[in-house]
Amino acid sequence: MKALIRLAWEALFLREDPYAEMRDSSNAVLRGLGIVVLIAVAVALVGLVGTALEWATTPDLREIQETVWQGLQKMDWYQDLEGVPEIRQQFELGWQIFPQLFGAPNVGTAALRIVLLPLRLALAWAVYGLVAYLFARLLGGQGSLGQTLGCTALAAAPQLLNLASFFPYVVVGGVVGTWTLLCRYVALKTCHRLRWGRALAATLLPYVLLAVLVSLFSCLAGTAASLIIGGGTSR
Amino acid sequence: MNELLQLARDALLFKHETYVQHTARADALKRGLTLLVVVTLLAGVISLVVNIVNGMRPADFEANMQEFEQGMESFFENVEPFLDLPPDFEEGFREGLKAVLPGIEIGARIDELSTPLPRSVGVLLSNLGAFLSLPFSRLAGWVGYGIWVMLAAKLLGGRATAAQTLGTTALYAVPHILDILGPVPCLGGLLGLVATVWGIAIYVKALAVANEFTIGRSIVATLLPALVIVVLSGLGLLALLIVGLAAG
Repeated sequence: MKALIRLAWEALFLREDPYAEMRDSSNAVLRGLGIVVLIAVAVALVGLVGTALEWATTPDLREIQETVWQGLQKMDWYQDLEGVPEIRQQFELGWQIFPQLFGAPNVGTAALRIVLLPLRLALAWAVYGLVAYLFARLLGGQGSLGQTLGCTALAAAPQLLNLASFFPYVVVGGVVGTWTLLCRYVALKTCHRLRWGRALAATLLPYVLLAVLVSLFSCLAGTAASLIIGGGTSR
Repeated sequence: MNELLQLARDALLFKHETYVQHTARADALKRGLTLLVVVTLLAGVISLVVNIVNGMRPADFEANMQEFEQGMESFFENVEPFLDLPPDFEEGFREGLKAVLPGIEIGARIDELSTPLPRSVGVLLSNLGAFLSLPFSRLAGWVGYGIWVMLAAKLLGGRATAAQTLGTTALYAVPHILDILGPVPCLGGLLGLVATVWGIAIYVKALAVANEFTIGRSIVATLLPALVIVVLSGLGLLALLIVGLAAG
């Protein structure tokens, strides 16, 4: 386990050595899976502590809701809506969504992440690794699928930055995603011994493919929905 | 630690050899990142202390609002002789303020609600959280922009690896130690501007050394992403304008 942590830590700094070590490893896939799961569990456990502390320093949500409701009633525009019977109902409905949207601490959800985060990261790793492998090979790469999966697993290293969420109210933000992209570039370049341009293409093409698929799916879903709704109203 | 301080000092003074030696090191990114994080945290220390002390004071909404209104009063008195404000400007401003007051009051009332841990612990942790978020915010901007600069540098014939480019350009953060005086009125803003310009100059120098190309190319690689963003934003606005005009 110590060796895996060292490898992930070194990979975070974009040096080619840890990626080369993983490429040359005889059980790259298993080690890769171990790294992804280890990082994910650590991040989720630490996040649970941070969320619990945040919850302990946040007023009760029901009390906040009541305070907001009382405050809204004092606003000028509320006088115009006072006669509308559904206003309180609409407010209650909104309250079921808004706290989650604005990041209200939820210890239950944070605890669930101990199971869900490793699954999510492992799935993302496997799908990205497979698609990136195909593109890298098309672009003249020499690595095997196992080597690609092993190396791209090290690109989960930037998730280590999320360990800062041990402290409540810390916002790590978008740096993890961007750093992951850089790690994936170094991973594919090292694993497949590609020149920088080809390595960059192999890194980005899975993202492009995902964007195209999402757009296509959205269009299809939109068309299907409009057909169903349109069909429903015409009847 | 001494080595890092030496690196920071030499980077500020644009010592060419220091940049070359730093780029050649295997741990360039680790050292660059350490400097960036340490400088950002040090620069935020005074704000952290001020915010904690202010947060620990018992909140008095009415007194705060009275203080705010008095502040606005003296602001208008001071500004009026120099600015040609329309006669109904102050009244309009007060009306606007009146409209947002209930919102501010809601925030103040929520702040007064009890929590499982004492309020002081909450103040301490929330300010500490905001303080520890500072390096991540700087990292996000630096890496997000740096990716495009790296691409531009490569297209211009640059030879640096990602670790070398990032490790060397991280030195741009060193002058931002001046941000420690950010809370001081006027001087803080001025020093912030100095730090920004100084930081950009270090960035350009670092990029040139890491990629082994001229300062001219480095300036182009540094500015190109910003120019592309400006051009694309301009085109986007133009397209919106055309669509708006076409729609009548």
